[in-house]
Formats: sequence, C-alpha cells, structure tokens
Amino acid sequence: MLGRFTQGELAIAGRRREQLLFLMDNGIYVVTVLLFVAFIFLAPYFFTPRNLVNILISASLAGIVTAGYTVAILAGQIDTSTQGVLAVATVTTALLFEEAGFSLPLTVIFALLAGIAAGLFNGLIVVNGKIVAFVATLATQGVMLAIALFLSGGQTITIAREGLQEAVFIRVFGIPSSVWIMFLCYIVGYIMLTQTKLGAHIYATGADYRASLLSGVPVDRVIRIALVISALTAALTAILVTARAKQSAMFGLAIAGSVDFVTALTAVLLGGFSLFGGVGRIERNLVAVLFLTILGNGLQLMDVPTGIILIVRGFALVLAVILSVLRARMT
Amino acid sequence: MASDEVILETVDLDKSFGAVHAVRSVSWKVYSGRVNALVGDNGAGKSTLIKLISGALQPNAGGFRVRGQETRIGGPAGAFGLGIAAVYQDLALVENRDVVMNMFLGSELTRGPGQIFLDHKGMLRQAHKVLDDIHARIPNVREMVRNLSGGQRQAVAVGRALIRGGEIIIMDEPTAALGVEQTQEVLQLIGTLRAQGKTIILISHNIQQVFEIADYISVMFHGDLLGTRSRDEATETEVVAMIMGKRSP
Repeated sequence: MLGRFTQGELAIAGRRREQLLFLMDNGIYVVTVLLFVAFIFLAPYFFTPRNLVNILISASLAGIVTAGYTVAILAGQIDTSTQGVLAVATVTTALLFEEAGFSLPLTVIFALLAGIAAGLFNGLIVVNGKIVAFVATLATQGVMLAIALFLSGGQTITIAREGLQEAVFIRVFGIPSSVWIMFLCYIVGYIMLTQTKLGAHIYATGADYRASLLSGVPVDRVIRIALVISALTAALTAILVTARAKQSAMFGLAIAGSVDFVTALTAVLLGGFSLFGGVGRIERNLVAVLFLTILGNGLQLMDVPTGIILIVRGFALVLAVILSVLRARMT
Repeated sequence: MASDEVILETVDLDKSFGAVHAVRSVSWKVYSGRVNALVGDNGAGKSTLIKLISGALQPNAGGFRVRGQETRIGGPAGAFGLGIAAVYQDLALVENRDVVMNMFLGSELTRGPGQIFLDHKGMLRQAHKVLDDIHARIPNVREMVRNLSGGQRQAVAVGRALIRGGEIIIMDEPTAALGVEQTQEVLQLIGTLRAQGKTIILISHNIQQVFEIADYISVMFHGDLLGTRSRDEATETEVVAMIMGKRSP
C-alpha cells in the first residue's frame, strides 16, 4: 500500500501527522495549567497551602496506582483487577496490623506480597490461559473481592492501634510521605521504561506481540512482570489508603474517591497512552492525574453537586477514549 | 561458476504436515557470497523449506551441513548462532518504535550492573554504521518505523539481521508489496549485501526480477527440488516450464 506514494509525499504526511500527535500528546500540560489558573480565580480557598497539599495527597493515591497501571497498559494489558487487589491488600493490612498485632514493616511486606500474588495470579490466567487481560482480570477481580470479603467477614476493620497512619504519613519538608512515594514510583518507572532492556521489551510487546516474539523478546515473561508491577502498586496504594482512613476499605472506591480503575484508565488515556499498548510516556500520566485531581477538587470548592462532578469525570473518560482511538487511527 | 563455495547444504530434508508432504527429501546447495533464488508456484514448498533453514520449523528427516559441518538447527536462536537470519515477509517490525530500537529488538546492547540498562549510545552508533554499510537512505534513525517507506523498512529489517551476525540472509518476497522506485531500492540493497560477501537466499514470484539479480536459480514443484541453474545457463522459458512442473533434461 505504501508503494503508491513517493518518499517525498510520505515524508510530508508523516511530518504533519507527527505534529498533530505532538499536540495531542502534550496538550495535557497546557490544559492542566489553564485549569489550575482558572480555579485560582473561580474556586474559593483553592489557592491556599492547605488545599494544595490536599490536592497532592489525593493525587498521590491515584498517582501511585496509575503508575503501575501504566506499565500494564504499555505491555498491552488492560488490567481491570485494580479494585480487587486494593480490597485484598487493604484487608490484609488491617487484619495483620490491628488483629494479628504484626509490626508495621511486616504488615507492609505481607500486604505487598498479597499484591504480588494477585499479579502472578493474573499472569497465570492471561499467559497460560491465553485469555485477553481485560476479560481475565475482570474475572480474577471477582475472586479477589470475594477473598477480601471472606477474610474480613464482610466487616470494615477499624484500626485503633496507633502507629500506622502516623508512620505512613510522616511529613518530609512539609509534604506527606505518600506524595514522595508517588514521585519515587514515577522516577523508578521512568528509568525502567526508558533506560532498561525490560522497558524496551514492555513497549515492544505492547506495540506488536508477534513481531516481538519473532525477534526473540520473552513476551510471556514481560506480560507477567507488567501485571505484577500493576498489582504491586495497587497494593502499595491500598496500604496508604488504609493508613489514611484508619480502617480497611472493602472497595477502594468507598473512602478514597479518586482511587479506582476508571480514574487510572482516564488518566492513562488523557496522558496520551494507547488503549492498545506500546505507546505513551509515564511522566504525562502524572500530569493527567494532577489534572483529574485538580478538576474534582476545584469543582468541589465551587460547591458543585457531587453528581455533576461525577458526570464531568465521566465525560473526561469519554473524551479520553475518543482521543485514544483518534490516536490509534493515526499511527 | 563451478568454483563457488557451498556455505549451506540441506541433506535429504523432509517435512510433512499430516497428509501434506510439503518438502520431499530436498538436497539443496546454497552458494557463499551469492544470491540464491528459490522460485516456485504457491504451495511448492518454498516457505516450508525456508522455515526449516531459519529454525522456525523442525524437519521430520534429513539434516543440514553448514560450512562443511553436519549440524542441527534447533530453533531461531540456533539459526542466529550459525549466522542464518531470516527477514520475514511482513518484516516483523514494531511500527510504534524507532529505527534503532527495531534494529536491536531482542538483542539490545546493555551496560551497567546485571546488564539491565540499555546502551543507547552504543546502539545508535552501531545502527548508523550498519545502515551506512548497506547504503540505506534513512535520514533519522530516531524516526518511528510507521513513517518509513517500504524500501526503508526492508533496510531496517535487513539491518537487524546483520546486527545479529547474519552471514546468510533469507529474504522472503522482499518486493512483493512495493512500488517500482522502492523495488529498485531493495534490489540495490541485495546487490550491496552480495558485494559485502553476504550470502542471500531470495524467495520471489517475479521471474524477471530473479533473472536480474540472482546468481543461482532453484525451482521447487510440489515439494520437490527440480533443479538449480546458474543464471547464465538458464533461460526464462526453461525456468517457467520447471515452475509448471516440467522436469528439464
């Protein structure tokens, strides 16, 4: 098909397309800054130190889970089990710390191990069962939610014991540790994706599974690792959510309004990632998460009813999906 | 051309898929530093033979002699080890990655502790060198493959084969999807590779093209290798007759 065009024509078409893609990719930076400036004027108390720290805390919880989610998307795996992993890890955290009396480090280790186990379980179904991740993880999420329900006896576990929230939300330079952890996740993610062999293989596997396989990329192992990373960040988020609320959250959604699969998906798509894998840059996701958090926070401060805010967020996802599909058609 | 050296030889190679006998006891000589064309109608067994040589399939019987040594080709990795690299018909390139990453896909240069970090500079340097060597016209090696022309893509895929140490390069219908200008580009590329002493196995449907570029022409029919002619002693009429199954005297 390409044979019908001269190389000159191809080059011009290519350049125009790349310019448009550049705009679509980087528009999120401009839009986020505009939104921020608009809310300074429109939303009372928006531009106060206290509210800005609030935005950062909310963004950190959504941001960490999105970082791992991004890695799975890049490998071509839409991981819908985030809420299941959150539920298992939050119950694990609360049970071990409150009821079993585990030390904080041990609690954290076991909660993260629960996340890794969930990721390996996903990998087993996706790779060995040869089932598309979107469907496979939807099914495994059901299993995980049931396990969480069984472990907790269907009850919210309140954490009365001191030490969890205080330790997890220590402020360093006036900013809570969860924010620092989020930045750390993105720095590690950035280095892994751009500077390591694993990162190159994650991009390649997501962009073209067959070509990667024929070129000797260990595609199955790459998919397993990506799913484990996704589940691991969900577990990390669960620990922070549990510590912040001082209770287990049966559904991540219940207490941390911004931590869920849909937000992660919206952020990933707004950040210029392809729903089909292999395209996107993790740093843009950080901005997309900030954008969504600022949007929710600003509207709330303007006393917009919650229902309207949810509708706006819904439209943000619709817009993000349209952008993603446009992008896929162009590449 | 009797003085040409045989670099790869199949010995009574046999492959069946159930009731379909795709390759029948084929003994084929591939000459070093030459363009060895393999022609035949659809279903003649060319692709199967090529897949056996590139390690993508395993034979039911028979074997290989590479540089005079009896050997097995256990899989694609084993073929790479023997200097055999296939350029697949669809090229197996990743559209949304740049030229350098495509050329090194699956054999990235690494550095640092545990060799986990990419050696971006080293890959860039080597990619430039390999592409210059084959006179590829690719202005920017950071360009995404999706923006390249068909001829440029072929160059990237061949570059990948060379980076993997390919001495015997299998090209499966490299011009099938290309226009006139880009077909010429690919034919030049094949000429350049030969000038550098590489051995090329070329599968093609285009008899004219084969006569233009190949040194040896081998014909398959219904799984049999009917014969090999040097270009100078063959005529188009004879080769076409062989493709139709007429065994020449």
